[in-house]
Amino acid sequence: MLNILAVCGAGLGSSFACQMSVDAVLKELGVKAKLDHTDISSVSGTKADIVISGANFKKQFERYELSCPTIFLDRLVDKKEIKEKLTPVLKELGEL
Amino acid sequence: MKGLVLNKENVRLQVEANTWEEAIRYGAGMLVEQGTATQEYVDGIINAINKLGPYIVVADGLAIPHTRPEEGAKAIGCSLITLKEPVIFEGNDPVSVMICFSAVDSESHMDILKMIVEIVDQGIVEKIARMKDVDKLLKFLEEI
Repeated sequence: MLNILAVCGAGLGSSFACQMSVDAVLKELGVKAKLDHTDISSVSGTKADIVISGANFKKQFERYELSCPTIFLDRLVDKKEIKEKLTPVLKELGEL
Repeated sequence: MKGLVLNKENVRLQVEANTWEEAIRYGAGMLVEQGTATQEYVDGIINAINKLGPYIVVADGLAIPHTRPEEGAKAIGCSLITLKEPVIFEGNDPVSVMICFSAVDSESHMDILKMIVEIVDQGIVEKIARMKDVDKLLKFLEEI
């Protein structure tokens, strides 16, 4: 199953709230996935298929050179933005 | 909203703050007053934002200041403040509603986050920012 990881600074607030919003968007799109959340310092070496994080972490992510698609959000809880940015990635991965 | 985590003690409206840091010291300071976090936790939030950027601004006008439990969280707790004049975070739009919280692990404060997501979903951040009466705000949140 598709693994999606939400990432923020502390790994329990913004990322968890983001995970809840992603969950709602996925339900709307009819895509099943396993969701989790973590903090920025634990993300390197992740086995997730998609990583979602805040735009302010872009620079840090460049250092990690993750092999999976990474989505950067200006508003971590904004379902409209999540849907807009997640849909093309899901299509690319053949989930939609 | 069921099981509302806000009450008369942890909500303050139309708070005056000049900077985002002042606003967080006020809102997270309420967690210290309630005994759910230490002063180090408040400093920890501010240090994390200075270091990592404003990842706590999760929707237009709304910030959710928090940091890791080991920075000085003692129990699950939260506070809501609205700001008389919005404060500005680096690279972000103005924030006029702040929900500070302390958490002891990465899951058990789910009710607080559900409320945050619900407030964003309902598009009521601005409406909350304008409210002047705590009882009316609590009633409004109970009814959504």
